Amino acid sequence: MSTLEVKDLHVSVTDEENGKGQEILKGVNLKMSTGEIHAIMGPNGTGKSTLSAAIMGNSAYKVTQGDVLLDGKSILDMPVDERARAGLFLAMQYPAEIPGVTNIEFMRAAINARRDPDDQIPVRKFIKMLDEKQDILDMTDEMSGRYLNEGFSGGEKKRNEILQLLMIQPKFAILDEIDSGLDIDALKVVSRGVNSMRGDNFGSLIITHYQRLLNYIVPDQVHIMMDGRIVKSGGPDLAKKLEDEGYAGIRDDLNLDVKLTDEI
Amino acid sequence: MRPSLQDKYMDDVVQFSHQNNEPDWFTKIRTDNLEKSSDLSLPKYEKINYRSWRLDRPTDFNVTSVATGYAPATSKNYIIQAGGKTLDLHLQPELADKGVILTDIFTAVRDYPELIQKYYMTKVVKADDNKLTAIHAVMMNGGIFLYIPRNVQVKDSIQATFVQDNNIKRDFNQHVLVVAEDNSEVTYLENFITNGDSEENKANIVAEVITGDNAHVHYSALDQLSESTTSYLSRRGITGANARIDWAIGFMNDGNVIGDFGTDLLGDGSHTEAKVVAITTGEQVQGIDTKVTNYGRHTIGHILQHGVILESSTLTFNGVGHIVKGARGSDAQQESRVLMLSRHARGDANPILLIDENDVTAGHAASVGRVNKEQMYYLMSRGIDEATAQRLVIRGFLSSVITEIPEEEVRDRLTQMIERKLINGQQ
Repeated sequence: MSTLEVKDLHVSVTDEENGKGQEILKGVNLKMSTGEIHAIMGPNGTGKSTLSAAIMGNSAYKVTQGDVLLDGKSILDMPVDERARAGLFLAMQYPAEIPGVTNIEFMRAAINARRDPDDQIPVRKFIKMLDEKQDILDMTDEMSGRYLNEGFSGGEKKRNEILQLLMIQPKFAILDEIDSGLDIDALKVVSRGVNSMRGDNFGSLIITHYQRLLNYIVPDQVHIMMDGRIVKSGGPDLAKKLEDEGYAGIRDDLNLDVKLTDEI
Repeated sequence: MRPSLQDKYMDDVVQFSHQNNEPDWFTKIRTDNLEKSSDLSLPKYEKINYRSWRLDRPTDFNVTSVATGYAPATSKNYIIQAGGKTLDLHLQPELADKGVILTDIFTAVRDYPELIQKYYMTKVVKADDNKLTAIHAVMMNGGIFLYIPRNVQVKDSIQATFVQDNNIKRDFNQHVLVVAEDNSEVTYLENFITNGDSEENKANIVAEVITGDNAHVHYSALDQLSESTTSYLSRRGITGANARIDWAIGFMNDGNVIGDFGTDLLGDGSHTEAKVVAITTGEQVQGIDTKVTNYGRHTIGHILQHGVILESSTLTFNGVGHIVKGARGSDAQQESRVLMLSRHARGDANPILLIDENDVTAGHAASVGRVNKEQMYYLMSRGIDEATAQRLVIRGFLSSVITEIPEEEVRDRLTQMIERKLINGQQ
């Protein structure tokens, strides 16, 4: 069993216009183990994506206090690629497009990066695995032969993120708004992919606005984030409660002094 | 004052010419240009300053080089030269029967005087164009002649490998003359490489391509001259009516190099595609000036250049599209892009369009940029290390040129060369 722990995490970003640091995360605490699915819900602008980027090690986000531990060891000094090889995966909200590099060679490079240079994945084994995973996601060979994310629709990009997840098989996957821009059919396909990973050796942190995704990927724990902190945690019922009462309701229940970005 | 080239070299030039059993008319080309050379100036290229390289000061050009072995080419037709000496040559007998000529330049001067007199430095690169072309004419010490007669289509590619010998002090002045007569077609692939690095040498290479009406030449070049070689590399062509020249040039040298490429689109309806991929590393400077001039009506000239700059090196791309008055219905397009991988690198992409005719289409795109951070983050977030991620991004960047090269073999060899040069540059 592996664990991922976020301890009193404070994260700032630098405003590009005035050069000043702005604190986004103000002390996040979270602990999860493989075998568990956690969901983080919260209103816009509350720091959910910042949390995922900070865990992955995006250099645009500066950790000013606290720690992130994988199996009890701090990963803050590790560059992004090392964190990935240590077992973290981030399905991104806006995956980059890389012309000239095919999806398939990219995935092989990613898998081989985890293997000894003298023991690279045999082509046949790779193709067999790719076929299996593509089937789960209703994807075709045509998509894998295309340049990485170039000209992909929003839905295709999300599917492609999940395909990479299935191919790489990390210990922990953070899914950053994987449901945004997906119609109900695509949502089901993506959920099927994530659910196929469920098991004792896999944990996932699902970031979403909406409860809807959680109907398909049922979480073990739900955390509600507001103003850079986790303000409430609970079981799957918490997501349903949220759906009924909205973020403002939860805020008022908890007597929080938080302005919601989209509040009228 | 330094002695003039004429005073210094006249005896050597005459002696060298006699050693090669060159006819008098060819000796005269050498000596005439030696006289002219002192009045000519170095060619000027926008934003490329190479005066300090002293390309106009030759050293030794007539030393006998030790011909060293090189793995034979894989193609059915090939010529391999080392230090100007031919090591191996093969031409399919059926091509020879049809009148195709593939031989070293000295043999050509002796055996095909009419053709050489007609085409050698007279129509494309003229010996008195500038000081460097004149020096080339004076001290040319190796090269080949490829001749495709009318109506002959050469199916298998013809490969030429030129090995420069830097174990001795000797200038490397190679001449490539390709003549494709009316309705002929040929795919030619050349490779310049250096053997040894105990001496620093200069190279002055001139390649001329002459196409007749409806002729089509696919010209691919992979340049890998070493760090100890400072070079002037000129490859130019002219077109007959409805002729076509496709250039694909992999500029992978390790030393300082000026590249002067392009086509004069003389015949109506002729077409040229000039594609250049360059990588610069270390401290080297590579300057590439690709110029296409539309003279004929309804001519098409396209330039596409992509380059990557690593470490403290410098890369300059000039793209010059010139449509002369009267070249109605012509098209001049160009794209030059440079990607910089280091803070110490310097790069430039200069689009130059000179349009003297109204009824034409023309366009240009140029950029100098750095590796996209989002792309790097994305690749690294999948566990790919920084160096590999960089190479993937670069390969993607160069691929828009490489995928345009029709010959698979050239694409593969170029991709391998890029990978090797990048790995060297990243260390």
